[in-house]
Amino acid sequence: MSRIAAFYRVEGTLISRPTLATAAWFAANAQGVSERVTRIGQVALAVPLTMTKSLGIASLGARMTWMGLRGISEDRLRELAREYWEDWLRDEVCKRGLELVKGSQKRGHRIILISDNIDLVVQPLAEMLRAERCVCNRLEIRNEEATGRLCDPIVSGSVAGQWIRRFAEEHEIALEQSCGYGASVSDSLLLSALGHPCAVNPDWQLRRLASDHAWPVVDG
Amino acid sequence: MAEAVRTPRDDQKASLRKATWGRPELDPIRSFEGKHIVLTGVTGFLGKVWLTMLLDFLPSVQRVSVVCRKKTGSSASERFAELVDTSPALTPLRRRHGARFRDFIDDKVRVIEGDGTKPLFGVSPSLVESADLVANFAGLTDFEPDPAIALTTNTLGALHAAELCAQTSGKRLMHVSTCYVAGRVSGEVAEHLDYGRSPLERDFDPQSELDAVRDTLDRCRTKRERIAQLMVRAERLGWPNVYTYTKGLAEHLLHSRVDICTTTIRPSIVESARTYPFAGWNEGINTSGPLVWLFSTSFRHFPSRPRHHFDVVPVDSVARGALLIAAEMLENRAEDVYQLASSDINPFTFRRAIELTNLGVRRMHANPEQGFGQKVLRHLDVMPVSAKATPLLGVQRMQQAARQGVHWLRQLNLREELPTSVWNRFGERAEKHRKKQAQRLRNFDRTMNRVQEMLRLYRPFIHDHDYVFSTARIHGLNKRLSHEQQKRLGYDVGTIDWHDYWLNIHVPGLERWCLPLLRGEKIPAEPIDLDDEERIHQIVSENSVAPAEDRVR
Repeated sequence: MSRIAAFYRVEGTLISRPTLATAAWFAANAQGVSERVTRIGQVALAVPLTMTKSLGIASLGARMTWMGLRGISEDRLRELAREYWEDWLRDEVCKRGLELVKGSQKRGHRIILISDNIDLVVQPLAEMLRAERCVCNRLEIRNEEATGRLCDPIVSGSVAGQWIRRFAEEHEIALEQSCGYGASVSDSLLLSALGHPCAVNPDWQLRRLASDHAWPVVDG
Repeated sequence: MAEAVRTPRDDQKASLRKATWGRPELDPIRSFEGKHIVLTGVTGFLGKVWLTMLLDFLPSVQRVSVVCRKKTGSSASERFAELVDTSPALTPLRRRHGARFRDFIDDKVRVIEGDGTKPLFGVSPSLVESADLVANFAGLTDFEPDPAIALTTNTLGALHAAELCAQTSGKRLMHVSTCYVAGRVSGEVAEHLDYGRSPLERDFDPQSELDAVRDTLDRCRTKRERIAQLMVRAERLGWPNVYTYTKGLAEHLLHSRVDICTTTIRPSIVESARTYPFAGWNEGINTSGPLVWLFSTSFRHFPSRPRHHFDVVPVDSVARGALLIAAEMLENRAEDVYQLASSDINPFTFRRAIELTNLGVRRMHANPEQGFGQKVLRHLDVMPVSAKATPLLGVQRMQQAARQGVHWLRQLNLREELPTSVWNRFGERAEKHRKKQAQRLRNFDRTMNRVQEMLRLYRPFIHDHDYVFSTARIHGLNKRLSHEQQKRLGYDVGTIDWHDYWLNIHVPGLERWCLPLLRGEKIPAEPIDLDDEERIHQIVSENSVAPAEDRVR
């Protein structure tokens, strides 16, 4: 029997800090001082690519974002992720988003988080929200060091409608009855694939789209 | 390579083994049942944990006689009583026996006044004649102590323990040495002792060497002279410091005794407890404490080879291993040497140790109350460098700059340099500031001297040589334990997650128990936090998932 899920795009609905800021913070906390500068430069190269809403380029942007972390030890990544969560994210989780998650849980929906951030950073949030699944990126690790590559499948700024339909099939989710929460126009494909889409603190493009399709808009 | 010298003791041991072979299972509870153990070095870091574990896990032991030295103002019994009352190492026993704790200790433990510097430890043979095993944990672990004291404690002390052992009915001596008696070699170090052969493969007669070094030390007047003379002998044979030389010599001398059955235990670097008596427990200034302290100073370049192994073992793992070996000795099946190390089964490299220590110090300094300097240092990681490198922020250059600064500040005459109007207005304050800065730089210079000295002592182990200590024998014992006993007594080094151990257990343990001593502060005397139960159970259950021996290479 198919189940009902609530899909939450983490960036924008639950956390306002962009993924690029996470990568830049990691790069700025590498071991050597000179390598920090180089790494931040590498992360900066991804800025124009992440700003585009095209699916193909967004995926390239996601790859570029994390390339600057090549050679950073797994130990450092784990510890920095813990510190980043505790110092920068934990207290900044959007209150409105939290209320929505609680509401979904009350209704018995499965909570599924979607993020283009890395698992080390998103996992504590998933645990805090008792999310059933967390779909996010994972850095490839070899010899206890990051290779700078992301493991497939890559979650980028834009989520394809095909992906959500395949995911629903694999996990026996009834998309028509499920809810989706997004904040950017790049989430529009995700939202339009669901029966109950909702825009949370949307950017102006998504707000216009929401008004065109009569999707509920939540601010605050 | 020359053939190893076979001593009469080898034949004796071979026959003992032959007689008792065919009982492969190891049951320490049964092995210790009704046995009388003599323990020396109970006031030391490892000795305490071993005693606690023995009484906690193997209460079938009949009696433990602890040989304890008296000190000015307190007898041996008083010293031991203080240890029982105050040492955090006995926490599990206190918890288990509650109000009956003292009765339990009085019932099981007998204190004998003795001194390792005296023949037979100054103990009457009648007090130990019923003993089945003598466990000699006594030793001096400083890298460069006064050689006269080190020789008396580490070498002669071991011989005195052997004499004491010869008076017992069991005639079994478990002697604790160190893996680093391997000396100036690199590569795999076997669990073996080539009698009369030094680390540099030179033949030598241990007894003649002992006599010669005693003569040499008798002729020296100062500690510095004694160190210099002893180091000439040590370096000639291939031992890099006073500690390894005196320990190495003791191993050879004990090996030549045929009247007792000696088993040598060689732990590598013994560090904070992983689970027992509780996670993070540490005592005194051990090997990695000063290294972690270095990372919290302005010292930013660490001379080491990133790929070399940093062989660390938690104290409770060593104590567990020593219990298994003692059990095997009581069954007359023990080998002559066992190494308790981690480098062959769960390697931990200096690259990783430096990285994790940086992260540990970063976490330690995350407190918002930390001063500005600590906040800056938190973001400047220590980097591994070659010992020959002289980086811009290296010790030598920083020390040179500090000395130049002191010299310049001393020469600076503000009254002459400043215009009279400025001098009249700010002169007094500026003069005070000049003196304060000069003092700061002098203190910095002294700290850097300490750092240089520390690095000189550590260099053979962190830079020059790469050791991989074989530990197949202890894993052999581990395999022969039942699954239930493996959980409690198994040598669990293979299951250590270094990230978790270093950041969540070891560095916080050092911060609590060791670093205050290095900063010249006292250890806070507040009650011991015993809320680690949940964590201990978690780690124990993790251990049970992947038994150590499954990961033996």
